[in-house]
Order: sequence, then C-alpha cells, then structure tokens
Amino acid sequence: MSRQDEIRELARVALSTGRVDYFIGWREAYNPSEVVPAFVDEPDSVDQLVWNDLCAHNLTTFLKRKMNDRPNAKVGICVKGCDSRTLVALMQENLVDRERLYVVGVPCDGLVDRRKLEKEFSDEIIDITTSNGTVSVTTHQGLTRDFPKADYLLAACGWCRYKNAVYADDVAGPPAEEADRHAKPVWTDVEAFEALSDGERDAMLEEIFATCIRCFACINVCPVCYCWDQCVNRSRRPELVSQKVDAKGNLVFQMVHMLHVAGRCPSCGACDRACPVEIPLSLLHRKMNKEIYDMFEFEPGAKLDEMPVFQCFKIEDAFGD
Amino acid sequence: MAETAASKARGAAPTSVAAPGSGTPAARAGAPQVDRPVKIIGIVCNWCSYAGADTAGVGRFKQPANVRLLRVPCTGRIDPLFVLKAFEKGADGVLISGCHPGDCHYSEGNYYARRKFELLERMLHYLGIPKERFKWTWVSASEGQRWQQVVTDFVAGVEKLGPREGRAL
Repeated sequence: MSRQDEIRELARVALSTGRVDYFIGWREAYNPSEVVPAFVDEPDSVDQLVWNDLCAHNLTTFLKRKMNDRPNAKVGICVKGCDSRTLVALMQENLVDRERLYVVGVPCDGLVDRRKLEKEFSDEIIDITTSNGTVSVTTHQGLTRDFPKADYLLAACGWCRYKNAVYADDVAGPPAEEADRHAKPVWTDVEAFEALSDGERDAMLEEIFATCIRCFACINVCPVCYCWDQCVNRSRRPELVSQKVDAKGNLVFQMVHMLHVAGRCPSCGACDRACPVEIPLSLLHRKMNKEIYDMFEFEPGAKLDEMPVFQCFKIEDAFGD
Repeated sequence: MAETAASKARGAAPTSVAAPGSGTPAARAGAPQVDRPVKIIGIVCNWCSYAGADTAGVGRFKQPANVRLLRVPCTGRIDPLFVLKAFEKGADGVLISGCHPGDCHYSEGNYYARRKFELLERMLHYLGIPKERFKWTWVSASEGQRWQQVVTDFVAGVEKLGPREGRAL
C-alpha cells in the first residue's frame, strides 16, 4: 500500500470510528502540479487526500487557528518529520491539547521545490510527477521536461535530519531511511554568510530586507508563532515596531519574529516558502538554531519531554561575565 | 583665473566660522564623516544597576555622559526588541545591566535574561553590529565603582568606532 493509501485508510478509520471530528491533510489543487491543505470531515471524502512530493505545507499551523474555533472537536493531522517537530514544540509548552489530537506521521524522503521548477519555464506548469528520483514537469503548452529531484529539493530538506515524525500516534507506511539523528548538525547553509565582514553583511541584509512588504505571511504561516492579537509586530498603539516598510524596520520586524520563536522554531522552512518576495528567512532562523545548539546542544521540538531552553534556566549557566 | 579668484574669495570669508576640527581631514574610507558625540542607550534594572549608577553619581565618580539610561523592573523584562529598536533608531551602542545572578529582586529574572541576551548578542554580531557596540553585564546597587568602570570602558570602545552608520539595522 502506498503512503497515500495509508493516509487515506488511517483517516477513514479515524473519521468513521469517531476518533476525530475532522482530519487535516493535503489535496490536489486545481491541477496536479500543486497541492493545498485539505480539511476532511466525512469518511466518504478521504479519497481527496494525497501524498506526493509537493506536500510541503506544514499543517501544524492550522492547529493554532482551528483548535480554538471548536473547543471540543477532536482533530486528526498529518505531519512530516519537520512538521512533527513544530507540533512537539507546541506540546512542550502546552499550546495544543494533546487529548484532542490524532497525529499521523508521514515519513518523507524530501520534497520538491515548486518555485525552483517554475523558474525553469516561462509557461504555466500543469503537472508535476516524481518517480525514482526524477521530476517530470508538464506545462500548459504541452512541453514536458525531466529534472533530477536531488537538484530541486526544498531548502529545508537540505538540512533535514528528521525524515520520520518525532511524535505520532500512527505512521503511514514503513519509516523512511534516516541518517543518524544524534550526529552533530551541519550548518553549511549559513557559513558563507557568516564568513563575510560586518560591513558586507550589513549591506547585504539591507538589500535583502528592503523588499519585504510586511504581508505577515511568514508570521501567519509560522506554526510556532503564537501571540495573535497580542503580537508586538501588529501593535499600532503603542507602535512597538515601526509600520514603515523600510529595510531597517523590516529587519527589526523579522528579528522580533525570530527571537520570539527562539527555542520553538525547528527551521521547518514554512516562512521561507510563504514569502512572496522570496526573502531567505532561513538566513536568520538557521543561524539562530545554530547558536542555540552551540549554547545548549538543544534542538527545538526534537524530544517531547524536554523543556524549551528559553522557558527554563540553569543556575550554573556560564553566560556573561 | 576668474575661478581661482572667486574660490579664493569664497574661501576667505568662512575660515573664521569653520567648525573646530575641520582642519584635520580624518574622514574614514567610504563612511560619511559624522561629527557628534556617540549616543548610547543603557537598559538597567531598577533594583541593582539603576541604583548602582545612582551610587556612582552620589560618589561623584567621573564617567562619560553619553549613556541615556532606561529603567526597567528587571532584566527579565527586557525584550530583544528594545535593543533592536535602539539600534534601528540610531543608537551607537546599547548597554544592558542588571543584578548579579543569584541577586535578582524577583529571584530568577536574570537567569532567564542571560540566556536571551547571549542569543541576542550572537545574532546582533551576525547582523553586522560589531561586538564593541553591544554589552550586557551585571552591576549591583553598591558597585558604583564598577558602574563607572563599565560605562567608561564601553563608551571608549564605542567612541573608537565612532557614530554608527548602519544600513540594515
């Protein structure tokens, strides 16, 4: 049975036995080249759920929205490895009600970056299929081209060490092959930027963050960013963060987001994918996680019984003078 | 010839009102020359470092006047936003100080704070802000002398770099 069938079967059983009231998964959008989140509340409609190399959405983000809307509803949800870490980060701080959750872990072998593929064509993509490490892309004009999947992976898959969910009630299919989780993480993606001089980094950040339009997509899509109406970034009175859209204000805005989810953000990459102007936010959150690992040997959302490092302290911490 | 005469005439008059120091062309490469005293924001906790600064004042310990103090209840109250915003708004340096670990008025505020500051400090350097422009330390209410030392050293470090012309923050 394919993973997709496993997901459908688990969802069908959960919905028909009343274990969940609705189930969150992925479904095909208007054509087979795109996938969108799906909410299924009838056992008969589970066949719309899909699993393929385009299921990039971190569905955990819907828990912070939807679970409060229906306080008694039980929710089923599909999580990949990276998504499960955001879920665990929420659980560590009791931000979701575990009793009302049914978690289906979906082992993942890396997903395809649709944006990267879009840049290869001037035409609209209407179909994307993957088999044996090759991505076949068909455009509206009928042109079909093949690409090696390894070159078109999502950035987040490049630094992924958790292909299997770290927390799940059921797993869809056999676990994915995974390198050693406990090995020391590598941070090659931020090292090039770190190696620049102070002035060069300053100039480059100005260039990058000048294009931010403050659409708040990064914050809205972030599964672990939780304050909603109390968010300092949204506050107008007092105006804690300037609402002017300039490079400086934008960097403050992004840094506030990053530092407020420090210790909870596992670098799932949802913000990078949501950004309409393609700001590489990974530059900030990856660096942040690098430093957190360096300070505490802590990986956000990796273990359920761990306390997030900024929610606790040790008297013997050796920071400062 | 006419031009030289004109420039001579133009040059003659303002010599008397030339700004002090304009005779020394010490312009740093690339950076626009800004000649003003450095502005430093000090964020201090009410119970220790604010009182420590007061002790330094009462003791008449000489210290640079570049630091503007912002008093907060506890270092645990300090959001990283405070520091980022100070730099955004043009501060040349930010100094944070509170009670020594173990002495917090609220028992444990500074234990949480030091974890946050350590991350913030590392991130600030990553954003292109030199190490000399951000410091966090502990000064107790009785340590007037130490406060003087901290402020003097920090201001000297920032003055060496001069006023900040940050582009991204």
